[in-house]
Amino acid sequence: MAVQFDGGVIIGADSRTTTGSYIANRVTDKLTMVHDRVYCCRSGSAADTQAVADIVHYYCQMFDVQNGEAPPVKVVASMFQEICYQNKDGLMAGIIVAGWDKKVGGGSVYNISLGGSMNKQPFAIGGSGSTYIYGYCDASYHENMTVTECIEFTKNAIALAMSRDGSSGGCIRLAVITEQGVQRIFVPGNELPTFFEG
Amino acid sequence: MSIMAYNGASIVAMKGKGCVAIAADRRFGSQQLTISTDFQKVFAINDRLMYGMAGLGTDVQTLSERFRMKTNLYKLREERDIEPKTFAHLVSSTLYEKRFGPYFIEPIVAGLDKNGEPFICSADLIGCLNFAKDFCVAGTASQNLYGMCETVWREDLEPEELFEATSQALLNAVDRDCLSGWGAVVHIITADRIITRTLKGRMD
Repeated sequence: MAVQFDGGVIIGADSRTTTGSYIANRVTDKLTMVHDRVYCCRSGSAADTQAVADIVHYYCQMFDVQNGEAPPVKVVASMFQEICYQNKDGLMAGIIVAGWDKKVGGGSVYNISLGGSMNKQPFAIGGSGSTYIYGYCDASYHENMTVTECIEFTKNAIALAMSRDGSSGGCIRLAVITEQGVQRIFVPGNELPTFFEG
Repeated sequence: MSIMAYNGASIVAMKGKGCVAIAADRRFGSQQLTISTDFQKVFAINDRLMYGMAGLGTDVQTLSERFRMKTNLYKLREERDIEPKTFAHLVSSTLYEKRFGPYFIEPIVAGLDKNGEPFICSADLIGCLNFAKDFCVAGTASQNLYGMCETVWREDLEPEELFEATSQALLNAVDRDCLSGWGAVVHIITADRIITRTLKGRMD
């Protein structure tokens, strides 16, 4: 998931990759850099999203070199959209693009769903576990949250999804993206926020 | 998706020195969704014989009631407790009765016979028995359990060592399986009593 705040974005994800019911990787990094201040959260097929992210990373580097400035988040999201829409038959990729750019002067979050539609949102959730936290997110989110509040919100939401969804779990990886840079936060499995566990 | 993997479950049983252990996870789900974390999969027949069932939850519950009825009637007629080996055969015939429309479960039986000898046994969904001398595994994490058991099991483990081995085998096997986990229950059956411990593992 990704949350926009005044000055940047928080992105977060769980760390589970499965092949069927076997957990192939329990410490995956689903937060992928496509440019210095633009990251994407990958969900769906790992191979598809890695391939698409690599291609967009290339396009971002070309943009930077050719235009002399970092690509705005909106442009990066459009790059993802173009690939996901034109190849919609062969891909299974749900991607959230989030980052900071100078033009906006703050953070932006774009959600690109399976079919290739792009929506700008104040916060976005995706992946199989997201279905379990729509209610929590709608109830907890409010505008003008501070960085700390955003981190708490993201951590709690992901922890709740990990608790209910079999395809989500492991640890939580977070990143705070601002004009100053990218700060990574790691929350191991034994330090997850706990809730009602039946 | 396989009907045996719809609800998700993992069971393991191990033989020790004058004791047996049987353990199960506690998850009950509907494919990826976890519905409850306190679902019972291991049942006691008396204080020396227990059995667990992995597979479809409704069949686990139905069969636990059927076995309770059959063993109660056995006790009334025979005027003695049922032996583990006899119960294993009872499980086998109950399952084979439904050969062409089976119960979707994999049972594991663990207990001490009248001489105090440890006994464990597993079966497939249509009643083929496997009398193991070391350990038995069943469920969605069975392959992981095989690997863990081969690593931690040794002959003649004392009750406390057996508890440790069984717990570690189960906990680490289910941590690599999305459909089982969310807690565990371990029972150690010794000559005197059954020691039951509930473990809190990873809840993801």
